[in-house]
Amino acid sequence: MKLTNKHTIIILYFLTLLSGLLSNYSPYIFYATIAILIFAGIKFLLVAFQFMEMKKAHPFWKNILVIYISLFILTVGLILYK
Amino acid sequence: MKENINYKNIYYPPGGILIWIIILLELLTFGIALIAMVVSSKSNPEVYHSSRLMLNSTYGVINTLFLLTGGFFMAEAVRFIKKNNLTKASFYTAIAILSGISFLILKGVEYYEKIEHGIGLEYNSFFTFYWLLTGFHVVHVMVGVIILAFMYKGLKSVKSPISPESFETGAHFWHMVDLIWLLLFPLLYLIF
Repeated sequence: MKLTNKHTIIILYFLTLLSGLLSNYSPYIFYATIAILIFAGIKFLLVAFQFMEMKKAHPFWKNILVIYISLFILTVGLILYK
Repeated sequence: MKENINYKNIYYPPGGILIWIIILLELLTFGIALIAMVVSSKSNPEVYHSSRLMLNSTYGVINTLFLLTGGFFMAEAVRFIKKNNLTKASFYTAIAILSGISFLILKGVEYYEKIEHGIGLEYNSFFTFYWLLTGFHVVHVMVGVIILAFMYKGLKSVKSPISPESFETGAHFWHMVDLIWLLLFPLLYLIF
């Protein structure tokens, strides 16, 4: 199934509301914090790839976005975990 | 829209290479500031937790929904301008402008409440980051709304209509505001 802007916005709303609910368990449950960070990463990539049409771009631009958000989540997660 | 633009060419990402250089620089700047905030939280976790609870996360969620809605309608506006449907493109741009203004109004309410309770820039390190990060972001939202307003005017103009390429670049600025907020929102409102 082809992902459209309408599908994307529904997923984005869902992940935002889910993150809001999970915040009741953060920072007491570390996995809740990690889930919130991963949801933020997914939302970031959905906006970039679908709304900004980066799915059509040269692999350089796609990779740079994936590397950026992965490094960001990993760094934040590691600092919080230590 | 020039259909001959090959987005697969490294020099022609959607929106244009210049806006992407700006977006990457902005993401880098906000990213470093957010990591500095997380590092700072390690020395004072209780302060960060109690400060985070002083923020209204419902405001944060609603503001996220406003920005995402604006992003969706701008994406749709770009899709329709490429189909040369200017009526729908301008209608969707107007909704995106409204969502941006709604964000600013709610942010204004949030700022007012904080100032009323004496929570300023020097209240503690969490709120220093809060004011600086959200303040700079609000400036970006304001600039974004102004850009969208010019784009809307350009869509309506017969004498000097906006080109689809310029429209897409302006839309990318708006999406950049979204991307930055998607990083700020969980770190300020949800995780500490």
